[in-house]
Amino acid sequence: MNTGDTAFMLIATAMVMLMTPGLALFYGGLVRSKNVLATTMQSFVCLGLISMLWVVYGYSLAFGPDVGHFIGNLDHAFLKGVGLEPGPYSATIPSLLFCAFQLMFAIITPALITGAFAERMKFTAFLAFTILWSTLVYLPVCHWVWGQEGWLFKMGALDFAGGTVIHINSGAAALVAALVLGKRKGYGRDSMHPHNLPMTVLGAGLLWFGWFGFNAGSALGASPIAVLALFTTQVATGAGALAWVIAEWKVQGKPTTLGAASGALAGLVAITPGAGFVSPVSAIIMGGVAGVLCYLAVLAKSKLGYDDSLDVVGVHGVGGIWGALATGIFASSVVNPAGNGLLNGNPHQLVVQAIGVGSTIAYSVVVTFILLKVIDVIIGLRVSSDDETQGLDLTQHSEVGYNL
Amino acid sequence: MDKADTAFILASAGLVLLMTPGLALFYGGMVRGKNVLGTIMQSFFMIALISIEWVYLGYSMSFGPDVAGVIGDLSWFALNGVGNAPSPDYATTIPQTVFMIYQCMFAIITPALITGAFAERVRFVPFLVFALLWTILVYNPVCHWVWAKGGWLAQMGVLDFAGGLVVHVTCGAAALAAVLVVGPRRGYGRTSFMPHNLPMTLMGTGLLWFGWFGFNGGSALAANEVAATAFVSTHLAGMAGMFMWVLMERFVMGNATTLGAASGAIAGLATITPAAGFVGPNAAIVIGFLAGVICFLAVRLKSRLKFDDSLDVVGIHGVGGIVGTLCLGIFASTQVNPAGVDGLLAGNSAQLVKQAIGVLVVGGYTLVVSWILLKVIDSVMGLRLTEEDEVTGLDSVEHSETAYNHQ
Repeated sequence: MNTGDTAFMLIATAMVMLMTPGLALFYGGLVRSKNVLATTMQSFVCLGLISMLWVVYGYSLAFGPDVGHFIGNLDHAFLKGVGLEPGPYSATIPSLLFCAFQLMFAIITPALITGAFAERMKFTAFLAFTILWSTLVYLPVCHWVWGQEGWLFKMGALDFAGGTVIHINSGAAALVAALVLGKRKGYGRDSMHPHNLPMTVLGAGLLWFGWFGFNAGSALGASPIAVLALFTTQVATGAGALAWVIAEWKVQGKPTTLGAASGALAGLVAITPGAGFVSPVSAIIMGGVAGVLCYLAVLAKSKLGYDDSLDVVGVHGVGGIWGALATGIFASSVVNPAGNGLLNGNPHQLVVQAIGVGSTIAYSVVVTFILLKVIDVIIGLRVSSDDETQGLDLTQHSEVGYNL
Repeated sequence: MDKADTAFILASAGLVLLMTPGLALFYGGMVRGKNVLGTIMQSFFMIALISIEWVYLGYSMSFGPDVAGVIGDLSWFALNGVGNAPSPDYATTIPQTVFMIYQCMFAIITPALITGAFAERVRFVPFLVFALLWTILVYNPVCHWVWAKGGWLAQMGVLDFAGGLVVHVTCGAAALAAVLVVGPRRGYGRTSFMPHNLPMTLMGTGLLWFGWFGFNGGSALAANEVAATAFVSTHLAGMAGMFMWVLMERFVMGNATTLGAASGAIAGLATITPAAGFVGPNAAIVIGFLAGVICFLAVRLKSRLKFDDSLDVVGIHGVGGIVGTLCLGIFASTQVNPAGVDGLLAGNSAQLVKQAIGVLVVGGYTLVVSWILLKVIDSVMGLRLTEEDEVTGLDSVEHSETAYNHQ
């Protein structure tokens, strides 16, 4: 065990945990005030729900001994055999710490999806969906990409910190959720302005801060690769925020704070799969392109007419796809011996990345669709029309956000 | 000196400091809009007041050379002799200055926690006098008894990993004394005291949870296996507390609330604190579940008794601290932490007895001294706002400010 790596990973794990409350604020500020608590709660409760699931069987299915390159087995159920010695995934830190670090990723992924069905989903249906989705989608895909015997890992797909596992996965699920649940009542007719943008900007700041733990921590040690990942994360995010704001300024006439926050997030998402594989200059390009692409994707949403309320598809889906492919373009063995991309003479990497993207989207879309349909039949996904008008805070939680 | 341990404890000290602003937001969101600044200020200002106290008195009284097992002497006044060389007695792999500042953050948050009990009705200056005297007469001695080399409870074998006794039982017992002496808010039980800004409370909860990793993980005082154990038990107990509280609410009252999720998480985190480095992940989950049930019931009991512990310090921190300290005596295992002890389930019933003595001594001492202090301050300066000022609100009466000025 290396104490330097352990110190670093303890702090990185705490930082990734903070991203979920950060996301709660980011989303909470974007909804109408009658739904702020319910929106916050959907992220917050994942901290409880997914931690539970992770201990009971989640960690084992994701990182336990392989079954057919598709899923882990149940040898590590209830964390059996996950102790304080270094393990197969963490040569220099206790396995239990690796398990905690990965848990924080499993928590934020279903929380990201909630932006797609904000302001209209029943709390009980949301809980059922989150448990089932994490079990049937997150855990397998995590195993494919990060498990030592997972089929995408074996094929050589590069995903440094979760572009495929987290962002494409949640983005694809979000698209399906937006389509299955349908639009919010009055969408396109009534004003649905964010009720508290300073809260959203604060949330974006906490996400940015936590993302250093997310990306740099994915080096799993206080190594030179961690330094690289921290640096690429910073410059890609800056480029994403700038690019989004400039694009907005050109197209719609004014640079907005929401645009800066969304652009930063787009940059963070895009660099995630590549953070430890690309040079800082490539990272700027990845972040900048993400800022413009995601902005256009969000604009296109209004034309296509589906109500992805808080732009999970546009930011996480599109940003994640771009990042995963860009990793196949820009990866460089000069900065990290793990692999080269297209620009460094290895077009095969781009093909592998595309297979990773395609298979994750296909799997996530199909399973999410089935899950939502089944839950709709059994519990019902949406709150009643009256409840939606009254707001989720009062009808789902018997609370109100503000008594000013 | 070990650089990795030093890096970890420096970062942990930063995390624990952040808990006090986090607590300020947690409490601030729960009061009425006219008292939000006054409530935040009671936490925030502790960073100034207690840090000064810590440099001149607190660190020496708590960790300085022992006098009869009861208190440290004053030979480290103004950090005299506290340098960058590691201490031979505490955290022997990091500079003593780092240990000193890490402990300072614990001393800051403890009196801030008490403020939830008398929110919305106590004057600022008498509050400051109370916080200062309480830290000198309660926090420093108890910290010495439990954590210092030579402290009498430590010598007896009472264990407290990260402050179940030192932080949570003390603040809970002081809160109980404060509720009894100060009395309820005007209109309590008659008018509505709805939280004015729950998103702010949830933000505070998130920051507290984040900081708690430094509070408990850092209490290993090194980046080692015990830190990993404590970190994981902290997260799992917080989660289990939230889980159980929300479940209880759903069955008892019908709807799962966000305030319930926040309260349950804090209950789980407070309860695991004394045990964090001594128990494994599955025991931590059980402890979190117990916290969710017992603290939930304690908070409900309060409403029946008509105690105005306004923000539930007794029910969450006091009860949680007691449950956690006892659970250490039940679930501790030397298989998890070879440097720790075995508890009841591993066949050692003596530890549970020691933990119970710790609870009774610390709880009893704190209750009595806090009660006397509050009575004296009340008769000398008067603790409470006048009726008229209480109606107007702390913010404008005590601080000449208002929190929200929409245009």
